[in-house]
Amino acid sequence: MSGMGPIYPKEKPDHPYVQFSTGGYLFGNYNSLFCAGCGYGIIGHIFTRVFEDEKIEPKLFPLIIGIGCYTQLVTLVHHTSQKFFALHGRAPAVATGMKMANPKLKPIIFSGDGDCFGIGGNHFIHMCRRNLDCVIFIFNNSIYGMTGGQAAPTTLYGAESTTTPYKMFENRIDGVNLALAAGATYIARTTVAHPRTLMKYFRKALKHKGTSVIEVITPCVTYFGRKNLDRLGVEYLDIIGEKMDNTGRMLDWIKRNSVRINQAKFMTDEELFNNYIIGEFRYEPDKPEYSEEYAKIQKIAMEEK
Amino acid sequence: MKNNKRYLPEGKYVMMGNVAMAEGALAAGLSFFGGYPITPSTEVIEHLSKRLLEVGGSCMQMEDELGSINAVIGASLVGAKAMTATSGPGLSLMVETISMAANLEIPFVLCDVQRIGPGSHGPVTAPHHNDLGLIRFAGHGEFQVIALAPMNCQELFDLTIEAFNFAETYRCPVFILSDAYLGHLHEPIYIPPKEEIITRVINRELPQDYTKKFSYKDDNIGGYIIPKPPIIGTDYFPLMTLHLPHNYEGLPGVSALLFMEILIEKIKTNIDKISITDEYKLDDVDIVIIAYGLPVRACYHAVDIARKEGIKVGIFRLVTVWPFPDEKVKKVVKNVRAIIVPELNYTGFIAEQVERVTKLETPIIKIPKVGVLHHPDDILKVIREVSK
Repeated sequence: MSGMGPIYPKEKPDHPYVQFSTGGYLFGNYNSLFCAGCGYGIIGHIFTRVFEDEKIEPKLFPLIIGIGCYTQLVTLVHHTSQKFFALHGRAPAVATGMKMANPKLKPIIFSGDGDCFGIGGNHFIHMCRRNLDCVIFIFNNSIYGMTGGQAAPTTLYGAESTTTPYKMFENRIDGVNLALAAGATYIARTTVAHPRTLMKYFRKALKHKGTSVIEVITPCVTYFGRKNLDRLGVEYLDIIGEKMDNTGRMLDWIKRNSVRINQAKFMTDEELFNNYIIGEFRYEPDKPEYSEEYAKIQKIAMEEK
Repeated sequence: MKNNKRYLPEGKYVMMGNVAMAEGALAAGLSFFGGYPITPSTEVIEHLSKRLLEVGGSCMQMEDELGSINAVIGASLVGAKAMTATSGPGLSLMVETISMAANLEIPFVLCDVQRIGPGSHGPVTAPHHNDLGLIRFAGHGEFQVIALAPMNCQELFDLTIEAFNFAETYRCPVFILSDAYLGHLHEPIYIPPKEEIITRVINRELPQDYTKKFSYKDDNIGGYIIPKPPIIGTDYFPLMTLHLPHNYEGLPGVSALLFMEILIEKIKTNIDKISITDEYKLDDVDIVIIAYGLPVRACYHAVDIARKEGIKVGIFRLVTVWPFPDEKVKKVVKNVRAIIVPELNYTGFIAEQVERVTKLETPIIKIPKVGVLHHPDDILKVIREVSK
């Protein structure tokens, strides 16, 4: 298959889940298409791992992938999953159509910060509002990586990007708050520096009936890290930061900037500035789910004379 | 749970154009409708909100037109017959998705109830056949679409069934070009019995051969083969659905040129089956009127009067407006003195096509109107002038 990059490593890596990846299983190509230091490899691995361990029936869990760097996750995710590539930002709308036309399905959506909060914000809000039964992953690297490092709606205050060469001065959007306001019933945020938590949240979301929003903070070393110092937003402390031009520093920065939800309650807004609050924000399994409610209305309509 | 509400009992009804179209869609097996209210197409979603639920389908009012067309794509991917209805401004929002659907050959029907444009304000309940210019090359990339133009409520019912059949067979976006007056027109229509409708409908089915999922060129027979649409949730779904030139398995490995050829020629080579046309008093003509949609009705009247006056004039009506039937038009205009093209727009999208086909050898007289219909006198005046 062309467009899958160099075949590297030459031999099958000694990893229990690599054999299930689409690229590896079908084409014998165990590489990943991501830059050095990218967090998407971890995400792809976790997805494949949960898919394999939970013995998920792939025909019932179609994968809808938006547009961004994570589109290339297609080579890493489980080879049996049925993948559909939606347009930029429109994945939640496609999922709505799929779920409503065949309520047995539970779509899993891959979306990014630009995809979900930028161009597709409207569809995301309304999917959450309806509490449609699906899982949506939002991979937040606070930059438009695929197009070369432009500012995203989630870019942190003071960060440098190719479209904000001086500094980012717009307020960033908080995806979790957006989902909370819109009415999704399972909302969690974690980072790729906490892969086991991510796995736990994914498993929980698969069993949850309703919209599950999982925001994953992931590093973009190439376009975010190289341009920014790891003291972003705390310049007032007069600490001279270092460029986050390698994975270690970037993951370190993510961990340092992540605050647990129960810890965050006791922190001031200034302390939380440019930080990510991680944890489970809402879990309401009893809220009515859209397709089930719709089926009830359908039943009434069908019986009516 | 099934019931018999999908098909109305046989008989005569008085129906609004938009409602007749909605009933036609139901008869064709519609099970998902995604829409967003926009005058003058709103009655479609209003009617289907009640009727589609009665037959166990879903009628979603989405958050915007982008949402509705993408939901339609999603529903079509899982095997539902899906459609949306909109007007000019909504169509403009949908074109990106139309391109994507054309690439992946996802069948759907889009009813465009046209109104005056450009712009989103103003006389939204007046007709203007302006969207043909957008539809024929809708979106980015190269592909062919099919556009049908009904002229009365009966045809809105019948041609909607036909539109769904075209979408299933040729796997391309299919448009129904209604307009504000036609959509709001109340007319008597005849609904045939259920048994007859069922024989007319092509259903979504899984094929015998699961290896080929997208159209391809068969070099042995020199033609283009269009497999059945793949369905998510079954084994008949490609490994990847990349929005790029792909082969019949959905994987890259086809030259972009060949891919464009397949998307376009799969329609063009079948033009005999797709192109529906109608002729009226065309046996011995000096002057021919080429028209589509509502203006045809004024032409019938004008031609009848002109014939009584001894002017040899006839009508060549395009029911399938796009793809344009080059060969048929060439045959019709062979020995005529003049061609009259009354259109509900200023540009004359079909007149342009006639100019292309006739190579400007025959004089072409356009009768443009926007927002108001052609009066038979408007056409008669031109016929008399030309016949002098």
